[in-house]
Amino acid sequence: MTINKFALALAATTALTFPALAADAIKVGLSGPYTGGSSSMGVSMRDGVKLAVDEINKAGGVNGATIQLIERDDEAKNEVGVQIAQELINKEKVVATLGFINTGVAQAAERFYQEAEIPVLNNVATGSILTRQWPTEKTNYVFRNAANDTIQSSMIAAEAITRQGFKKPAILSDSTNYGQLGKADLTDALAKLNVTPVAVEKFNVGDTDMTAQVLKAKEAGADVILTYAIGPELAQIANAMAKLGWKVPLVGSWTLSMASYIDTSGANGDGAIMPETFIELPTTPKRKAFIEAYHKAYGGDRMPSPVSAAQGYDSVYLLAAAIKQAKSTEGRKILAALENLQEKVEGVVTTYDHPFSATDHEAISANIPVMGLVKAGRVVPAHPEDVAGDKALRVKPKG
Amino acid sequence: MQILGQLIVSGISVGMIYGVIAFGYQLTFATSKTLNFGQGEALMLGALVGLTTINFLIGAGLGNLAAFLIMLPVVCVFGLLQGAAVEFFGVRQAVKNKSDSGWIMATIALGIIFKNMAENIWGHDALRFPSPLPEAAISFGGVRIQPMEIAIVIGAIALMIAIEIFNRRSIYGKAVIATANDRDAAGLMGIDTRLVIMFSYALSSMSAAFAGVLVAPVTLTGATMGAALGLKAFAVAIIGGLSSGIGVVVGGLILGITENLTGFYISTGYKDVPGLLLLLLVLSLKPAGLFGAKAIKKV
Repeated sequence: MTINKFALALAATTALTFPALAADAIKVGLSGPYTGGSSSMGVSMRDGVKLAVDEINKAGGVNGATIQLIERDDEAKNEVGVQIAQELINKEKVVATLGFINTGVAQAAERFYQEAEIPVLNNVATGSILTRQWPTEKTNYVFRNAANDTIQSSMIAAEAITRQGFKKPAILSDSTNYGQLGKADLTDALAKLNVTPVAVEKFNVGDTDMTAQVLKAKEAGADVILTYAIGPELAQIANAMAKLGWKVPLVGSWTLSMASYIDTSGANGDGAIMPETFIELPTTPKRKAFIEAYHKAYGGDRMPSPVSAAQGYDSVYLLAAAIKQAKSTEGRKILAALENLQEKVEGVVTTYDHPFSATDHEAISANIPVMGLVKAGRVVPAHPEDVAGDKALRVKPKG
Repeated sequence: MQILGQLIVSGISVGMIYGVIAFGYQLTFATSKTLNFGQGEALMLGALVGLTTINFLIGAGLGNLAAFLIMLPVVCVFGLLQGAAVEFFGVRQAVKNKSDSGWIMATIALGIIFKNMAENIWGHDALRFPSPLPEAAISFGGVRIQPMEIAIVIGAIALMIAIEIFNRRSIYGKAVIATANDRDAAGLMGIDTRLVIMFSYALSSMSAAFAGVLVAPVTLTGATMGAALGLKAFAVAIIGGLSSGIGVVVGGLILGITENLTGFYISTGYKDVPGLLLLLLVLSLKPAGLFGAKAIKKV
């Protein structure tokens, strides 16, 4: 068989088999790090997304079509994220993309979706800038259902200063974009409360000896440590504090709930406090069902990153509701539907009632997250009264 | 004073680890004038093999300390084999052809392969290594030291002394020294210099693997743990001198301590800078290293 004939035969067979499938399926891209240091968040997010997609498909899909996920591992690397974005847009022709754990990757990749007019539901990455990357353009295709860093840093400051009454915070952050942008947000949030940190220290990802940083905070007289970093280095901070026999509370961004912090710091890590959109507790019927379905599908009794799983799960239902309302898979129509979503979407994190508008692409408002606390290897509510009774379900205020 | 003491003590334990890895660089450089740029990966593989072994032994009902002591020889044997493999696949051909750079690329490539293998076997997350000693710090006049940090210093010195004694006293060790002094002459005296070079690579990786299990209980274990340590140890080897065993130990201590002092007294953002400045300074003033013998390359 010559190459031409072979190609012809191949084309004929694909033509026979694939269109039938493509007509039924709505292709949705999924980009996240399933390997590397952020993988516990990426994998949990992916598991949450797959769970929701399976449920929707079993219930008959969206507008009679099933959702087909196109999963890609961005390895938390900006350049890989860009390649994947181009592949999903140009080759796979996805109607929308979910995911993004790392702010840097999201920033590098989302530009391509903006140009191609394909909506992105950013379900984990927290960099404040992500939903307002193109202030001069008329439309913005990036939406988010995660608590951004502006919300998180002001919650951290409020918890440490206002609620717990500490006066001398020290900030410890890593040297990545995440850590340094978070440090800036934290300093601003503290300034609003008229507090100046007594020490601001940084370290590199991969650093194993935090003695110098922790000693500086201690000598500066810090009574609380505020953190913006990821799991392994956070664990080293907790371990260095234990070594130096110095115990002050750790309050920091939601990464303090990463399995790599909790497991590697062991008993030293207990007591750390962080903002969480979801704590793995059956406080509402929806949450109970989600937790049970998750463990039935993936085993275990603790999600590696409950926040990522819940937000991943919710992002699918938000997208499905928009596609249903748009009665189309065209990017512009999905965008219009997302910005004016009529259906109340009952999610795990919250109930989304008009979560987005043309000017506001953040589904999570400052009142939704609550403070979580690391206790014996799990995250529990730091203040049980915050999630008691009807406070369990917190919704975004109207307007 | 107490703070200074604390910073120096922490610097010493980190510095000893740099020293042991740099000692490995020095071992192969002495015999073959080549280095294993995958030394950091050798450390990482040693730590991960150690982790699997110790978890297996603890699972079989042994205590942490007993499991750690039984695990040590396993890791050392693994290190020996791994080093021999690096020499066989990466260095032998280059040395035979008297290639100046082939071994550099080959050892870096092998290092990347080992790292990818480790990621596939042990995953990408940092893992906790069970500590053989109590983790609570002991206070010496206000300076707090973890028992494992003391063990690092003792273990590192013991390993280096053992290798030095072996080289100076045993007949095999004498072959190593003879090869280091003059490879061609050693060859003419009937020493199988190819075998000696392979052996020095084995010893080098063994010391890295040993350093890996020493440092793992105080840091975390994972596929990426070796990269930064290997690079810093390389700077230590340059500072101390690639031809001196004492030099790398002193170089390691200098780097470990200056890092901590800078972090505290200047800024944690500049923690890595003085070590590198020192490296540049040594290279420009005393290129053979603080303790290195001046080498005259005969052409």
